[in-house]
Amino acid sequence: MSAALFYLASLIALCGAAGVILAKSAMGSVISLLASFFALAVIYLLAGFQFMAAAQILVYAGAILVLFLFVIMLLNLGALGTKFELSFAPFQSARAKLACAIAVGLGLIGLIAAQRASLPESVAQASAEPIDSVHNLALALFGRYSLPFQAVSVLLLVTMVAVMVLAKRKRVGKGNEQ
Amino acid sequence: MNPQSLQTYFDGAAFVALSPLIVIALGLLLLLLSSVLPVGRSVSNLLMLGTLLGSAALHARILASEQVPGLVVGRSYAADHTSAIWGILFVLGTLIAWLYSLRYYEDERAFQTEHDVLMLATPLGMMLMAGAHDLIVFFIGLELLSIPLYALAAFRRSRTKSVEAGLKYFLLGAFGAAFFLYGSALIYTTTGSISLDAFADDARRSAILGEPLALAGIALVAASVFFKISAFPFHLWVPDVYEGSPTPVTALMATGTKAAAFAFLMNAAVILPHSAANSVALIALLTMAAGNFAALVQTDVKRMLAYSGIAHAGTLLLAVAGSLAGDPKAGAALEASLFYMGAYVATAGGAFGLLALLERDGEHTTTLDGLRGLGQRRPVIAAALTLFMLSLGGIPATGGFLGKYLVFSVAVRADMTIYAALGVLLSVVALGYYLRVVIAMWMQSQPEGSPSVDSKPVALAATFASAVCAALVLWMGILPRWFLDTM
Repeated sequence: MSAALFYLASLIALCGAAGVILAKSAMGSVISLLASFFALAVIYLLAGFQFMAAAQILVYAGAILVLFLFVIMLLNLGALGTKFELSFAPFQSARAKLACAIAVGLGLIGLIAAQRASLPESVAQASAEPIDSVHNLALALFGRYSLPFQAVSVLLLVTMVAVMVLAKRKRVGKGNEQ
Repeated sequence: MNPQSLQTYFDGAAFVALSPLIVIALGLLLLLLSSVLPVGRSVSNLLMLGTLLGSAALHARILASEQVPGLVVGRSYAADHTSAIWGILFVLGTLIAWLYSLRYYEDERAFQTEHDVLMLATPLGMMLMAGAHDLIVFFIGLELLSIPLYALAAFRRSRTKSVEAGLKYFLLGAFGAAFFLYGSALIYTTTGSISLDAFADDARRSAILGEPLALAGIALVAASVFFKISAFPFHLWVPDVYEGSPTPVTALMATGTKAAAFAFLMNAAVILPHSAANSVALIALLTMAAGNFAALVQTDVKRMLAYSGIAHAGTLLLAVAGSLAGDPKAGAALEASLFYMGAYVATAGGAFGLLALLERDGEHTTTLDGLRGLGQRRPVIAAALTLFMLSLGGIPATGGFLGKYLVFSVAVRADMTIYAALGVLLSVVALGYYLRVVIAMWMQSQPEGSPSVDSKPVALAATFASAVCAALVLWMGILPRWFLDTM
């Protein structure tokens, strides 16, 4: 049962990912991405990561996709059409085909390697116990991983400043506002 | 587990180890605050200067103390003498770039504080990269360095080239980051650990290297680090990005990014097998060749210096190869790369900085023709630029020469004489284009009909930065004993 569900979810996730780059309209890409995110959340659940699944839906499907929709609305990309159509036009050139072939080849190598690799004990153990219960997650974030956790806060702040600088207009009072 | 576990991770040693980083983070917050408070530019400038100097002083304290903190916060960050020297280098590179940026911008003057905030974030990222003992800390450091640089590259939004540089750097950098993440995921899958401890001893390392999945992961991680140091064949972005970015930002990219990536590479060389030494040496030679030959035909000095930066990364990679092959003299490869990078930070920082200075004055210096006759017009600047060119070319009595000598002797001791000999030959090729700049400045006269430039007085900050760079280059070249002893 869970195996069947896993393969179904994986199929949806892959089709959704393909839909993101193949869809003709920006709207179609966003909807495909949404499908992909939900399928990924199902896979996380099957693997026993409840918190990750919830965060995936809340953060990605909830917040980030709304942001995407907002941008589409603002830039009026919806005018390009809301019908869901696939377009293979960007993949007609020889270079694009070569890039696809290389990407598929790399994926296959990864797949074969994954089949042959034996998982070390620590990984097998990690998936056996509920690693992502909120309690354990907090202990990890504020213990062993507290340095990257705190560094990320600076990173987010700096990213905000960076975005602000990129989106800057003339500062009010120092010239004409654009 | 007890609820106080955070305290067990953040003990006294951790605070000593992280103090230079904490100072920068605090300074960054205050600087951001100063942009909305009714205080003058001089307060922000003092804050920036004080933060950078304070961080350097705390690094120097770690360097001077007998007992280093070592691995802290769950063995994720290492603070020792080496990381302290790297830290001082990062601060130096940032300081040089910042001093030159002070009077550089015209249209964007109103955003100078935000510019400074972004610039101040980069040494924090570099320090995390240099001290990282696991892949996550390194990755956060990498992003903390890269994201501000993407924005800074596109800082002069009114110029198409600047925007193009920012976009190119961002897209390629994002791919590089994705490679790194995928690679570390593969490494984690096979080793069950993202710590460099997993590669601590030979037995575990050879077991890991037998796994194809881990090898794929290491290759991906290496590719993303090679992208950052602009090694062949991941170097094609460098000329466009360096040319389009504001010149002080280029100085920061050329010195800081490269130094930080090399600092991690020296630490993380443990994850590469000894047998990789030859391929790394080959990449080093190809990088040097790609940089030097492409630089020969450039007419734009900024692009030429970008290619020369690629060539220098190749030279340094030879030291990494030497340490992989097992240099019999312990620590010599590290010492060589520290010295080389120190000289490079002072030299390239000064060279790019002087270009920024001339650019601001309205001289058309991004081309070789624009530099013609500079010796008559502005002899002091021309003399300093000559010194930097000679140091980049590796002429004796400059820091660049001794750096090259140390790196090549590492390669020779590690039985890589052929590679070292080819490297020396390629360095001779490099003299061709460095000397072209010198010839243009001193032996050619200003082309007829070029607009006369009324040279503005040079800002105090830029004068100071140039003097420091020139003094360092000469000091490292003539009396290197003090530097070598400290390392």
